Amino acid sequence: MSTSATQGPHSLAFRVMRLCKPSFHVDPPLRIDPFDLLAGEDFSDDPTSASLLRRHLSSAEGVDSDLSYRNRFLINHPTDPIGLSGLLLLPQSFGAIYLGETFCSYISVNNSSTSEVRDVTIKAEIQTERQRILLLDTSKSPVESIRTGGRYDFIVEHDVKELGAHTLVCSALYNDADGERKYLPQFFKFVVANPLSVRTKVRVVKETTFLEACIENHTKANLFMDQVDFEPAKQWTALRLHDPSSQHPPSSDLGGIIPNPPVIIRSGGGIHNYLYKLVPSADVSGQTKFQGSSILGKFQITWRTNLGEPGRLQTQQILGAPVSRKEINMRVVEVPTTIHLNRPFSASLNLTNQTDRQLGPFEVSLSQDESQMEKPVAINGLQKLMLPRLEAFGSSDFQLNLIASKLGVQKIGGITALDTREKKTYELVPEMEIFVESD
Amino acid sequence: MFSDSSPAMDPTSPESETRPEINPSSAATNPAAVQPIKATPEATAFESTPSSFADPPPERSNSLDELTHDLSSLHDLSTRGQWEAILDKISQSRALFLLTKPHEHLTYLTYQVIALTKLRRSDEASHELNSLHDFDGEHYRYESFPEIYPDRKGSMVPFSLRWMYALVPTRLGNRQEGLDRLYTLLDFVRERIKEKEGNDDSVELWKKREIFVMSCLLGFHLGHKEFGVSLELIKELIKRDPLDPVLVSKLGSVQMQFGDIEGAKATFDRVEKMSNHNGLVSETQFKNLVGRNKALVHVVAKDYAAAVREYEECIERDNSDVVAVNNKALCLMYSRDLSDAIKVMESALERVPTAALNESLVGNLCSMYELAYVNHTDVKRTLNNWIARVAPDDFDSSCTRV
Repeated sequence: MSTSATQGPHSLAFRVMRLCKPSFHVDPPLRIDPFDLLAGEDFSDDPTSASLLRRHLSSAEGVDSDLSYRNRFLINHPTDPIGLSGLLLLPQSFGAIYLGETFCSYISVNNSSTSEVRDVTIKAEIQTERQRILLLDTSKSPVESIRTGGRYDFIVEHDVKELGAHTLVCSALYNDADGERKYLPQFFKFVVANPLSVRTKVRVVKETTFLEACIENHTKANLFMDQVDFEPAKQWTALRLHDPSSQHPPSSDLGGIIPNPPVIIRSGGGIHNYLYKLVPSADVSGQTKFQGSSILGKFQITWRTNLGEPGRLQTQQILGAPVSRKEINMRVVEVPTTIHLNRPFSASLNLTNQTDRQLGPFEVSLSQDESQMEKPVAINGLQKLMLPRLEAFGSSDFQLNLIASKLGVQKIGGITALDTREKKTYELVPEMEIFVESD
Repeated sequence: MFSDSSPAMDPTSPESETRPEINPSSAATNPAAVQPIKATPEATAFESTPSSFADPPPERSNSLDELTHDLSSLHDLSTRGQWEAILDKISQSRALFLLTKPHEHLTYLTYQVIALTKLRRSDEASHELNSLHDFDGEHYRYESFPEIYPDRKGSMVPFSLRWMYALVPTRLGNRQEGLDRLYTLLDFVRERIKEKEGNDDSVELWKKREIFVMSCLLGFHLGHKEFGVSLELIKELIKRDPLDPVLVSKLGSVQMQFGDIEGAKATFDRVEKMSNHNGLVSETQFKNLVGRNKALVHVVAKDYAAAVREYEECIERDNSDVVAVNNKALCLMYSRDLSDAIKVMESALERVPTAALNESLVGNLCSMYELAYVNHTDVKRTLNNWIARVAPDDFDSSCTRV
């Protein structure tokens, strides 16, 4: 099958229309209640006038044929002024298209010539930077003929999974009236943009990890968040935290007609926050506690726009703060309520062995760093304290005599415990803040 | 339509296009066919000769004329969409000094502002409104003219005029000013409801006005996709009449519009279980309402065949249900049946033109023409010509995009 170099005018042409879901027509109309026009607003205060007006009006309406344009001017039902009749509108333009949505299009091949075309093979495919996806191919069973003025229609759908430039390529291979085999390609370009961004923050408080996710809407439409699910990695269990005051119970006197306010993120930069509490899964063994994989999980998000047009996205794996469980944990348990400048005070500390073997003995002291600057809180008296060996998962409480040499908010820091056997040093974390008053 | 980016391929040669099977131009050549029910052979609504205003036929009551000079004629013209004729009548009446009482001037002014706005001459409407005194001043109270209105008290301002005062800025592109005025009007209405306590008929009338203004506000917020405010307003409306199936169905439609499909389904289920005792809609209208709600749920699920079946039942019960007709055509199109979709629309325009002739339906039909025909201009022009013969004065033919 040869295609001539100069193909001349084509008998066929593609007409394409994007078929996103239709939308409701909303347009407050200029329609009135005749009682509001035919007489002054207080005319009916007087009951005689009121019934007079009603009589006049009903006799005027009585002869009315139902084939008039009264529905363009007079209201029938009290809610007519809303302008929401339920009439659906076809999409007026291509609109914007986003990752996660489904591209749907009506494609019509028209024969606008004066003669029949035969043996038509039609193909439709989407081309992106990375791939070509075939949507339709009639080469196995070509369309026998399209008469003059006739059409062959099809609808294609494609889940959009890539960003950037896309081209819908429609092509028809056909025999025209002269028996010449012709090839007609037509190209329809569109660009896919990113609809959402998800920003996460992770905070660890003791044993619990909190994950905060902020979803921002970059589209031109308000998004109804149908589903926002966090799927934790297997070493975690997640619980969504709601603000209980935001869950209004449906009004009981209306039998629950009024829905709870839905989560709709407004277009062009609106945000909504989600908060999850993550705890290590029940079946995690003691060993895993140390390594603590930093993968927390990922989000599955489904949103909807008009008439439920859906979009679906999944985030990448979200990483938490590396949970490096230390072998030895040293922390301040208690300090006196009032601490005075240059007056010694006693701090209670605790040293815990978080491994499954014996560690120690330990030497507790104030670390000597490069700068010879005096530390605001120093050990008073003996600069080194010896602590005996600790059993597996054992802990020991001890006292340190400290003295503060500066006023105001100061930190107890720089205190270290040296395992004299394994020669490993552990720091006091977190540094504790104290308030130093004057004498 | 998005633009084709391969310029060489566009066949623009002017071959004749095959015409669609049903020719819409056949509908209006015989006015009698369009208005078969009217017995009297007077001027019909479809002869657009603006200078002749129809004289009310002998059997029509002149009783509205008792309220204001020639009011029955104005009312009649307004229901036939003959706004040019109304403007002519108004200027004639003024020129001949036929209006003698203050309330007549106000009523005529209200008709004039409405007519101008309907004809998309809102700047002139605004100009007329500016000529008014303060609505709440003495000029517009019955008791200021005791010799003309003995024993009558209160405001002679037609409520529609107050509403037009709020509406006209929105037609001039000043949405915020319009919204402010509408909210002020709502406050005004609520004051009146409190004030008229004791006079049940008056209170009822002003409560209707409250619903009117709230509905209008809801339409504005909804059109701007302000769903939070819209839900609040619908809540207020439903509180006042929780058993109105039409109102609750609108809640379902709003939920569907912003994507809460499950919520919409639950709301539509409620409507189906309602009995139609409040009598605001007929049994047929109620059945069609439930049918259309069901069809929408099918549309969302992309089960277009089921939606079409529901709409067909509605049309069988009431062939002037143009929402069902229009939506059925769209479902046919989404099922790849563009030809039948076009047939359904054209047939409705032919059979029930006064019900079907609205800018949205025509707009949809023109989109279908643009998809179906390479040379769609001819088809659309034919439609446009038919519309020009049949449509009321306020029809906005820019919807055909010709």
